[in-house]
Amino acid sequence: MKKNYFSTFQLILLALFSALVVVAKIALRTPIQLSGHSGIFWMAIVIVGAQVVPKPGAASMIGITSGLLASFLGLGDFGMLDTFLSYALLGIVTDLVLWILGGNAENVVVAVLAATLGHTAKFVVKWIFGLVMDAPIGFVALGLLKAIIGYIVFGALGGFLGWLTLKALRKAGFFAYLAEKR
Amino acid sequence: MDKKRILYVLLGLVAIVSVMLGVDFWQRQQAAALAPADMPPGSIPIFMDGKFVASFIPDDLAQLADASFVDAEEGKTQEGWLLRDVILLYIKESKLKDDTQITVLSSSREKAKSLAWVEVNAEDNMVMFDLSGRGTLKLVSKIPGFDLRDLWIQDVDKIEVVR
Repeated sequence: MKKNYFSTFQLILLALFSALVVVAKIALRTPIQLSGHSGIFWMAIVIVGAQVVPKPGAASMIGITSGLLASFLGLGDFGMLDTFLSYALLGIVTDLVLWILGGNAENVVVAVLAATLGHTAKFVVKWIFGLVMDAPIGFVALGLLKAIIGYIVFGALGGFLGWLTLKALRKAGFFAYLAEKR
Repeated sequence: MDKKRILYVLLGLVAIVSVMLGVDFWQRQQAAALAPADMPPGSIPIFMDGKFVASFIPDDLAQLADASFVDAEEGKTQEGWLLRDVILLYIKESKLKDDTQITVLSSSREKAKSLAWVEVNAEDNMVMFDLSGRGTLKLVSKIPGFDLRDLWIQDVDKIEVVR
């Protein structure tokens, strides 16, 4: 019989990480009034998920599933399609960068770069939607640059937080436990 | 780890950012070429009884007091400048009556909201502009019935005052 790419156990884990991304978006609040600050939480979750299920496509699965959940919950202010595409592209780009860099998110450089590019991809979707919808140009001249920097910095911080979490999980023996489950 | 691959990823990031900033710069140049001198790119024109009064420009922000509130729906802080203060920068208060209609429009979203001056003027209502992530203005408020994100006016590009 043909073996599925992801096992049922891995799919359950990915679904849990997807739900966590949406819950983090809704429940976790920071007092920082800067664009993309929530990326600290969800990029950490995506990076951890991509390493807990260490297969190309894991981050994409988290992005697509959380995108579906978020769009049906009405998150985002550009509508369902924008919400779905921004979450999905976040996962796909994170996967792509992980693949280019060898896939080991337990390396801090890999985790930070994958999260930074993934989070920036989310902003790119929002920016393209703005262009397509003929949104007015920014009121503040440097508004776009400020937003881009916000997404890059918080994406990188999310990647770093994800790397720290992976390190803690490794120390706690979580990966040895997972190996037994597989 | 292969340093070349890291470099490719970093170059990819730089390329993405450059394209976005390049397109934004080009849009600003285009808008500046088409708009009158008193309407710099990104500014919000204010009309009174159909006549152009002035453009709300970023330079004017320094004259305005900051305002903020935490929205009840998502618990996010909305931070910016009161619509009342913006209007009073260009229109004398004596020209505004309680029932004067203030309409804030967004052509790209095809949305508009009309409020009476008395509602806009009440500080407790917090009728104000919040700066969105992309740098455009979003009209938000605490007025019951106009206190939800779906109802707020994103990407504002015009203000109309009708007496």
